[in-house]
Amino acid sequence: MAASDTAIIQMHHVDKHYGQLHVLQDINLDVHKGEVVVLIGPSGSGKSTLCRTINRLETIDSGEILFEGKPLPQEGKELAAYRAEIGMVFQSFNLFAHKSILDNVTLGPREVLKTPKDVAEKEAMELLERVGVAEQAHKVPAQLSGGQQQRVAIARSLAMHPKAMLFDEPTSALDPEMINEVLEVMVELAREGMTMVVVTHEMNFARRVSNRVVFMADGQIMEEASPDEFFDHPKTDRAKDFLDSIRGH
Amino acid sequence: MSAQTTSMRDALYEAPGPKTKRRTAIGTVVSLVLLGVAIFFIIRQFYITDQLNERYWSFLLEWTTWRFLLEGLWGTVRVAAVSGVISMALGLLLMLGRISNSKVLSAICRVLTDLFRSLPSLLLIYFFFLVIPKYGLRMPPFWMLTIPISLAASGVLAEVFRAGVNAVPKGQVEAAMSIGLTHGKIVWKIVLPQALRIVIPSLVSQLVVVVKDTTVAYVVSFPDLMQNARVLISNYDALVSMYFVVAIIYILINYAINHLSIYLAHRSGNKIISRETENPL
Amino acid sequence: MGVGEVVAEFGGVYVQSLLSTWLMTIVCFLGGLALGVLITVMRVSPIKPLRVVGDFYVQVFRNIPTISLLVIFVYALPYLGLLLEYRACLIVCIILVVSSFASENFMSGINAIGVGQIEAARSVGLSFVQIVRLIVIPQALRTTVLPMTNLLIATLLTTAMGSQVPLTPPELTGMVNYVNARSVAGISAFVVSAICYAGTALVIGFLGNKLDKKVRIVR
Repeated sequence: MAASDTAIIQMHHVDKHYGQLHVLQDINLDVHKGEVVVLIGPSGSGKSTLCRTINRLETIDSGEILFEGKPLPQEGKELAAYRAEIGMVFQSFNLFAHKSILDNVTLGPREVLKTPKDVAEKEAMELLERVGVAEQAHKVPAQLSGGQQQRVAIARSLAMHPKAMLFDEPTSALDPEMINEVLEVMVELAREGMTMVVVTHEMNFARRVSNRVVFMADGQIMEEASPDEFFDHPKTDRAKDFLDSIRGH
Repeated sequence: MSAQTTSMRDALYEAPGPKTKRRTAIGTVVSLVLLGVAIFFIIRQFYITDQLNERYWSFLLEWTTWRFLLEGLWGTVRVAAVSGVISMALGLLLMLGRISNSKVLSAICRVLTDLFRSLPSLLLIYFFFLVIPKYGLRMPPFWMLTIPISLAASGVLAEVFRAGVNAVPKGQVEAAMSIGLTHGKIVWKIVLPQALRIVIPSLVSQLVVVVKDTTVAYVVSFPDLMQNARVLISNYDALVSMYFVVAIIYILINYAINHLSIYLAHRSGNKIISRETENPL
Repeated sequence: MGVGEVVAEFGGVYVQSLLSTWLMTIVCFLGGLALGVLITVMRVSPIKPLRVVGDFYVQVFRNIPTISLLVIFVYALPYLGLLLEYRACLIVCIILVVSSFASENFMSGINAIGVGQIEAARSVGLSFVQIVRLIVIPQALRTTVLPMTNLLIATLLTTAMGSQVPLTPPELTGMVNYVNARSVAGISAFVVSAICYAGTALVIGFLGNKLDKKVRIVR
C-alpha cells in the first residue's frame, strides 16, 4: 500500500462560495496513487464540499482541479466519462430506489461501459459476495439495513473499476452496530491499494488506515500530517480543540 | 426536505459548463421569439375578426356591467359557501360513520362515500332538477344546485378527513388509551381536533372543486356569475369578450383559493390532501 | 317506469352511450397524458421562458372551470375563426384541463425522486439523457400511478360536461335528459347512469390500486 509519487488528484488554489459563505478557501491538496487521505474537521468545515468538488458534484469558483494531470471536464460526455472513473459513496447511500440490488450494481457497467448483461451480472455477484450481501441480490434497497445498503453502494462503485474512490461520510447515517461492517470493506479496499479520499468522523479508521490526515476548519486546510503525528502532536489550536471535543474531554 | 423538493427541477441539471450555458442562452432567445410570434398571431386573429373593436369591450367600463357581474358572483359565492359548509359537515359524518365501531354503519358510510365520489356533480344536479320534481318535491334553484354539489364534494371530503385522522400519530391514541379514555372520547377529544387542524389546507383547496361545480348553475336557472354573464352577452352582443373575462375571473378566484391553501399548508407544515393524492376507490 | 323498463326501452342507446363515454374518457385521458408530458418537459427544462409558459399553462387550465372553457370553445372561438364540432370542442377542452393536472402529477413524481438519486447516477457516469431515461422517468412514473388513477376517474366524471352540448349518442349524464325527454322514466334513468359511472370508477380504482402495489417504490 505504499503510495507512489504520482499525484492522481491535484487541487490548486481552489475557492468556492455559497453566497456570502466562503466554504473553500485556497485549497491546495495532492492525492497520490494508492494513497488513503482522510478529511476530518468540525461540521461546516467544508470537508464534504471539498470531496464533492473532486467529481464536480460541486463546482468551484476559482483555482483548478486536475485528475491524472488533466483539468476536470466541465460538462457533457467528457464529464460523465470522467465520473465513471471515480467511485463515489454517499452518506445516505443513494441506491437507485426502483432497482434491485443486482441491477443497482450492473446499471453502470451495462449503460456506461457497455458490458454484456451476463458478464456484468457475474461480476456484480462477485462484488456483492465480496461485500457480503450476495444473498440480498434480488431485493430492493428499502429491504436492506443501512449497513447492507452502504456495502452495496461500495460494490456499485467498484463495478466501474474506478481509479479512485470518494467517500462522503459513509458511516454517519448508520446505526453504531453497522458502522464496522462498512469500515471493514473500506479497510480491505485500502489494503488492495485503492486511492481513497474519505470524509469521516471515524478516528480509529483514520489512524489505522490512512496515509495522511487533512484537518479542515472554516473552509481552510489547517493541518496536513501523517495520522500518528496529527493525533499525537496536533499543531494548531483548532485541531487540538477538535480532537479534545471528539475524545470527550 | 422541502427546500430540496422545490429545487428538484433544478437538481436535474448540473451547474452548467460553457457549452451548456451557450446552448441555454440560445434556447432562451429562440423560445422568447417563438412566444412573441405566438402572441402576435393570437392578437392578430382577434384583430382581423374585429374582436378588438371597442364596442365589444366598452361595456366593461360601465359600472352597471360590473354590478350585475358582482351580483352573479355573489350568487356563486353563496352556493360555494353553503355547499362548502354542508359538504364539510356531511363529509365529517360519513368519515365518523366509517371509522365507527358499528360494522353496518361503517359499510353504509363507505358505500355512500365511494358513490358520491364516483358520480359527476352534473348528474346529481340533473337528479335534483329533473327527477325529484317528478315526485312532487319542488325546490328553489338555489337548493337544486347546492345540495348536489354538497353531496359530490362530501365524498371527497370524507376521504380527506379520513386521511387527516390517519395522519394523527399513533402514539396519541395509545397515550389516550393508557389514561383510560373510551373510544368515543379518544375520537372527540384527541384525534378529531388534531385531524381537523391537519386537513384545514386540504379543505380550502377543495373549495376550488366546489367553485368549479357552481358554474353549471344555468342548468337550474340560478343567477350565478356564469348565468349573469350569459344575460349580459344577450344584452350587449359581446360574447367573446364576456366569456374571456368570466373565465379570467374564475381562474383568479381559484388561483387565489389554491394559493391560500398552499400558504396555510406551508405555515402549518401539513400536506394538501386532494383528489389526486388520496386513494382511488 | 322501473329500471328494467328503462333498460328494455333504451338499452341500445345506453350501451352506445356507455361506450361513447368510455371512449371519450380514454381519448381525453391519453391525450391529456401526452400533452401533460410535453408541458412537464417545458416546466423542467433549463430554459426559463419555457418554464414560465408551462407554469402559466398549468395555472390557467387547472383553475378554469371546464364549462367556462367549453363555452369559449363552442361559442367564442367561432367568432375568432375557429369552428370545431361539438364533440371535438368537448374533447379538446377536457384534454387541456386533464393535461394540467397530469403535469402537476408528473411534477410531484419528479419532486419525490430526491437529489441523492440524481447525484448517484451522475457519479456512476450516466449522461443526462441516461439519467432521465433510467432514473427520473421510471421513478416518476411509478409514484404517479395512484394520482393518475384518480385523474382517470376525474376524467370520466368530467365527460359529463358533454351533456351541455348536443351529442349523438349522448354520454351518460346527457342520457338522463334524453330518457326524461322521451318518457316518464323518473329515477330509473338516473339510476342506470349512476351505476355505469360508479361501476366504471370502481373498476378503474381497483386496477389502479393493483398496479400501484406492484410498482410502488419503497423509500
